[in-house]
Amino acid sequence: MRVALAEDGALFREGLQLLLQAAGHEVVAVAAGGDELLGLLASTPADVAVLDIRMPPEPDGGLATAERIRGKWPEMGLLFLSHYAESHYLMRILDIGTDAIGYRLKEKVGSVEVLTDTLGRIAAGEIVIEPVLAKRLVERPRGEKKDEVAALSQRELDVLRLMAEGRSNAGIAGQLYVTPKAVEKHIASIFTKLNLHTDAAESHRRVLAVLTYLRSQRGDD
Amino acid sequence: MRLEPAPSDDPLLSVAPQARRRREREQWQRRRRLERQLHDGAALRASALALQLGLFQHRVPEAERELRTAIGALQDELHAVLQELRDVAAQIYPPLLDEAGLGPALRELAERRDLPVRVRDDGGRFGAAAEGAVYFALVEALGSDTGPLEVTVRGEDGTLVATVRGAGPAVRELLTDRARPLGGTVRTVDPAAGGGPDTIVARIPCE
Repeated sequence: MRVALAEDGALFREGLQLLLQAAGHEVVAVAAGGDELLGLLASTPADVAVLDIRMPPEPDGGLATAERIRGKWPEMGLLFLSHYAESHYLMRILDIGTDAIGYRLKEKVGSVEVLTDTLGRIAAGEIVIEPVLAKRLVERPRGEKKDEVAALSQRELDVLRLMAEGRSNAGIAGQLYVTPKAVEKHIASIFTKLNLHTDAAESHRRVLAVLTYLRSQRGDD
Repeated sequence: MRLEPAPSDDPLLSVAPQARRRREREQWQRRRRLERQLHDGAALRASALALQLGLFQHRVPEAERELRTAIGALQDELHAVLQELRDVAAQIYPPLLDEAGLGPALRELAERRDLPVRVRDDGGRFGAAAEGAVYFALVEALGSDTGPLEVTVRGEDGTLVATVRGAGPAVRELLTDRARPLGGTVRTVDPAAGGGPDTIVARIPCE
């Protein structure tokens, strides 16, 4: 895969470049900021751009850069890396796009396997959400949602968490060592219990529906 | 209820409070700088270390299962270290408050801790001191046993105006303690003007 990378911390940037190369990816552009990366991308095509959220142009250059990348090269995947996993940024990221996009903690992409899984899913058009954040959202639903989520079985909670990470049915099945058929059953049961009506086959809409459900509070529209 | 002393035109009387305000503002800016220092220094080094460990892990032959697992455990430990650094940073000066302002920071906190607070804001920014003062006063208030709060944040002629509905005596006192050193005031809203006994307005001048 051809990967472009923008990160202002030299130590982390160099480490990530080496790990990407070890994972067999071609690092086609490396920059310390968003403007510099856009300059490089003008002459070098890439499949996925990896962006630090908090980098120049300040204050959140990664987001501004991503918007410009989506405008110019809508096919290019986007992976945001940050020192913080905040739902504020998750929502801003999903405003930029809901396909081929990801948000992960910097120290959680530190293995060849995780990097490859993350980049592969993004390149395949999926949404990838930091598991630490997905877990927090599932464990801390707001207001009246607490009772509904509490009604789920442990297995269904596992499936809900993996759905909130943006995983496909096949991905969830792989993580839980069950058949995709079993996953479908769990999802149907979850959607009934939570009163969610979404086409369960459509993975993008599903992750948005799940996130909206988990974040909404009593009295919200 | 404590009352703010009337503003004085006497230069001799107003010099000392102005110096105090400046020092107070500097304290808040120092907190923000400390958080940035943690982020750009220790946190970034620890994250880079996690990547280097990943590289070692990749170079270890597949057969060396134990060594590979041990390296993975070190990475998990680094994640735990970073989570602790994040907790500390949030208590010094929350990065989201610095980057996105009062509305997003308070909403994120409410969501994480399931706190009974709703925040409306116009997206305006008011500087590290005024924003920090309101944020930490409300965090402290919500940490103690307070009922649901409704907070509205807006700017008015270089002043941060925070209206808090549902504010009991504790909220009023905490806000007053944080606002006064910055030259701010906390007042009850006149019921005739749509307020109630539990609605207060904090006004803090921005730097």
